[in-house]
Amino acid sequence: MTQERTDKHFLELLHRHQSILHKICFAYCKSPTDREDLQQEIVLQLWKSYPSFQGKSQFSTWMYRVALNTAINRTTKAGFLTDSSFTPDPSYDPEVDYELSEEIRILHRAIAQLRKVEKAIILLWLEELSYREIAETIGITEKNVSVKIVRAKSRLAEIIKKLQ
Amino acid sequence: MKTPDIDSLKSAWKKEKGFDNLKLSESDIEKFLKRKSRDITQLFKKGLIIDLVLKGLTGISLIGIIILFTGNSNILISMLLVLALILWSIWFQVKMYRNIPSDVSSEPVIRNSLEKRIHFYHENYVKSLYIGALSNALIFVSGSLYYFYFKYGEIRPLDLTDYLVFGGATLIAFIFGAAVNIGQMNFQVKQLESCLQEIDEDSISELTLKEQKNKRRRLLFIMLLALISGLLLLAYLIS
Repeated sequence: MTQERTDKHFLELLHRHQSILHKICFAYCKSPTDREDLQQEIVLQLWKSYPSFQGKSQFSTWMYRVALNTAINRTTKAGFLTDSSFTPDPSYDPEVDYELSEEIRILHRAIAQLRKVEKAIILLWLEELSYREIAETIGITEKNVSVKIVRAKSRLAEIIKKLQ
Repeated sequence: MKTPDIDSLKSAWKKEKGFDNLKLSESDIEKFLKRKSRDITQLFKKGLIIDLVLKGLTGISLIGIIILFTGNSNILISMLLVLALILWSIWFQVKMYRNIPSDVSSEPVIRNSLEKRIHFYHENYVKSLYIGALSNALIFVSGSLYYFYFKYGEIRPLDLTDYLVFGGATLIAFIFGAAVNIGQMNFQVKQLESCLQEIDEDSISELTLKEQKNKRRRLLFIMLLALISGLLLLAYLIS
């Protein structure tokens, strides 16, 4: 495949699946600036690793892998002017930017309050990835995935209850 | 209030079209691709490049001192030793730069990717931060020698107080540089460690992290000892 065709193919796939990008950025970022930064980093990492995508899994699954890996490996700098807290802002509301249904808006606000890896597991679970695929993405056993999903779901339910 | 059923939200999540309303344009994506990555490995690289530039400049300034103090064999020997140290440091930092693990995209498993970065930081990069802090100390030494030259035209005889003041200041320059660099990096690496702990939850990983902390303490002690010995040797050679 020529470079031009590869570029075009990548951009088409990215366009088709860019809701994944928004879902992950909402889950991991508090502010629009932060979100744009993460979007940029994810797109960059997707672009770099695209040549290694062999089509063994679905593009969306592969995209989730790279995007979540980027979001989890992303760190914030220490400093007086940077926001270094890990606690999600409870007032954060994705409805400001997107016309989401009420239940999904609350679900998103709840996901934003989970821990980093919990967020990844829940996002993959919501996308209906198999336990095996989740285990392979995170690097844990399938048994461990099921334990973590049960725990994350119960935390999520508690948070949603408070938000409702 | 009723406990929400998370499973029932799954289908709603899949059907949700709200996220499709906002699309990134091609120009947005192109803009993203042109920018530089801010991944932690890029920070490692940036830190090393800054230090290489600083070390290069310090080396040049030391050559200037050798020229200014031509005929002073003590200065010549001590500056050649310091230059050798700078050359070794540059070699070390270049080697470190080459060993920085490649970006996130090359490692698809999240756990492995985190481990790779944390391991690289504790086992390798932290040494680089100490060697980087050496630049601060050497800049101070070089600055002091220039000061002596322009103020007295020579290195005036130093007494105990001078040794304490200049030695102490060099030590402070090193410790301050190391503390700032390590503090900044630790803050970021701790975020990766907390993710790894979350993945492992109560497994051996915590033990590994403790071992790494101990290794870090030992390294700090060795570096301080080496610096104090180096300063004493330098003072002996100059006087």
